[in-house]
Amino acid sequence: MSERTLSGIGVTPLSGVGTVVWYDQDVELDEPPAPDSVDTAAEHRRFGNAVATAREELQAERERTAEKVGESEAEIFDAHLQFLDDPQITGAVEDAIDEGLPAEHGTREGFQQGIEQLEAAGGRMAERADDLRDIRDRLVRILADAERIDLSALPEGTVLLAEMLTPSDTAQLDPEAVAGFATAAGGRTSHAAIFARSIGIPAVVGVGDDLLDIEADSEVVVDGEAGEVIVDPSEATRERASERRDVEVQADRVETADGKEIEVAANVGTLAELEGAVAQGADAIGLFRTEFLFLDREAPPDEDEQVETYVEALDAFPEGRVVVRTLDVGGDKPIPYIEADEEDNPFLGMRGIRRSLGPDADLFETQIRALLRAGAEGDGNLAVMFPLVATVGEVEQALDVVDEVAADLESEGIDHAMPELGVMIETPAAVFVGDALADRLDFFSIGTNDLAQYVMAASRQNEHVADLHDPSDPAVLRAIDRAVDAAHAGDIWIGMCGEMAGDPELTELLIGLGLDELSMSAVTIPDVKANVVEAETDEAESLAASTLESSTKDQVRSVISDNK
Amino acid sequence: MMDRIVTIVPEAGLHARPASKFVETANQFEAELQIAADGEEPVDARSMLGVTSVGAEHGDQVKLIADGEDAEAALDALEKVLTTPEDEYDE
Repeated sequence: MSERTLSGIGVTPLSGVGTVVWYDQDVELDEPPAPDSVDTAAEHRRFGNAVATAREELQAERERTAEKVGESEAEIFDAHLQFLDDPQITGAVEDAIDEGLPAEHGTREGFQQGIEQLEAAGGRMAERADDLRDIRDRLVRILADAERIDLSALPEGTVLLAEMLTPSDTAQLDPEAVAGFATAAGGRTSHAAIFARSIGIPAVVGVGDDLLDIEADSEVVVDGEAGEVIVDPSEATRERASERRDVEVQADRVETADGKEIEVAANVGTLAELEGAVAQGADAIGLFRTEFLFLDREAPPDEDEQVETYVEALDAFPEGRVVVRTLDVGGDKPIPYIEADEEDNPFLGMRGIRRSLGPDADLFETQIRALLRAGAEGDGNLAVMFPLVATVGEVEQALDVVDEVAADLESEGIDHAMPELGVMIETPAAVFVGDALADRLDFFSIGTNDLAQYVMAASRQNEHVADLHDPSDPAVLRAIDRAVDAAHAGDIWIGMCGEMAGDPELTELLIGLGLDELSMSAVTIPDVKANVVEAETDEAESLAASTLESSTKDQVRSVISDNK
Repeated sequence: MMDRIVTIVPEAGLHARPASKFVETANQFEAELQIAADGEEPVDARSMLGVTSVGAEHGDQVKLIADGEDAEAALDALEKVLTTPEDEYDE
């Protein structure tokens, strides 16, 4: 049988091979019996017992999720618990039972009305209909006494397939046993995706209905990097996927063979990922994205909530640094309470620091206040960086805000500390005025994804120009080289937090270019650390020099592959 | 039976946490409690489904209706939920 490949969205740069177990939440019910043969009183009792069981399950799952994933992820269960006790819904179920339906059929009917009511209301209310479906399915499963697959006890080498996985499902998965999972629904920021990243399970989401055709017990490869699910893989594909990384985690800081220390740090986008970063041996957090604090909610987080979040990150790295990027949103990432006009060209429009100094000035000030307070309270060393800087003027304005906030806190008698301050190097403009920026700041961090996009004028999202968008193009490499020179001439450190930093093939080149810090998805840290230890600075520098002399991407690639 | 008109203060409107808080508060009283959007049929204030479906946003007016011994205390408590900005909730 030849292999078959389905495409979805890869959420972890890991692959796994295993045997399919289907996780199917739907319970098939028989036709209801004739109404006069149903013992109505008994069915009422069964429903009451099912609600009590569901409540216990939800409370247990809430606790487990709060502990394993995070308090804000756990809040979803509070809403479920309230719907479970909703008199309008339980009343509708009880009416249906009174009309002669058994409890499980009555549950389906009673919930249907509420689901339709919410869906008809549209918008935010329609989103809650999914919560109702979740609770309904839970009750029906309990009533039908259907076995739920025990997700915490799957056989080793299982690839779990499902229509979707809820927070309660993922909280039970055992990363040792599960070779990977794939879901038909879901996106990069779904619960399941965040969870997979935080504990390092190969995962592909959003595969679509084709996934549903894969039979249980088939052998599949889940390639979380390419975003592919490969059914009946060939021997070669299987071997490639099962080459488990046997690189050892190094918790200590590393240096090159000749003694140059390179900080290897993690990029994180939620608090849940901190644990994975520590487990993979990260020295620091090189990019703490703060968007998660602002997304999926109706009002911005207040100062205290932000302080708490930043302190939690700082406490996870008591000996290290945490580089927090201030809010980086634009017209392409809508947030309900942020007014952003739809733009023809959002990547060249109002985003990053431009919003923070303009329409989102209030949010920015609150965030800076929270950061300065957290810097005094948390264990690790705080660094704050501003995204999408193009001019010296923007930096001066941002620094003025920081100074004003510090003065306010001082006069209010509130504890605060001044963090290291830096910028993301993402625009060609920032590269060209790098010397002037370095005079005013403590560090740079190169965002290679955006830098490549703006240097090459090629969007990552557009498949027709995806080939142009390559950080190892000589044009991008020369921009990186120039930024490093500007930083070091100004006596400040420079790191890299784009995807390029996490490519183990490029570690030696990046050391040769002079980067002081590399920050990446936690899962690639062991490989990059292993490559740092093997590198020699002078060899790395001559490798960098040869790539900088190249005139084409192909030449760069052949210089790198000849070097191996 | 008594009622009261209240203007919604939380930025999120009567959704998410404010809605949860509202239902939770209603459950602490004995009185029969209802909430209605302007000119609409009142719904049970203890029903998350009902309360969410009112669809009240920040700045909207809603009518609270109470009937029972602790009606006045219940109205005071519910009014407080609807007029407290979300960031001032006690945890």
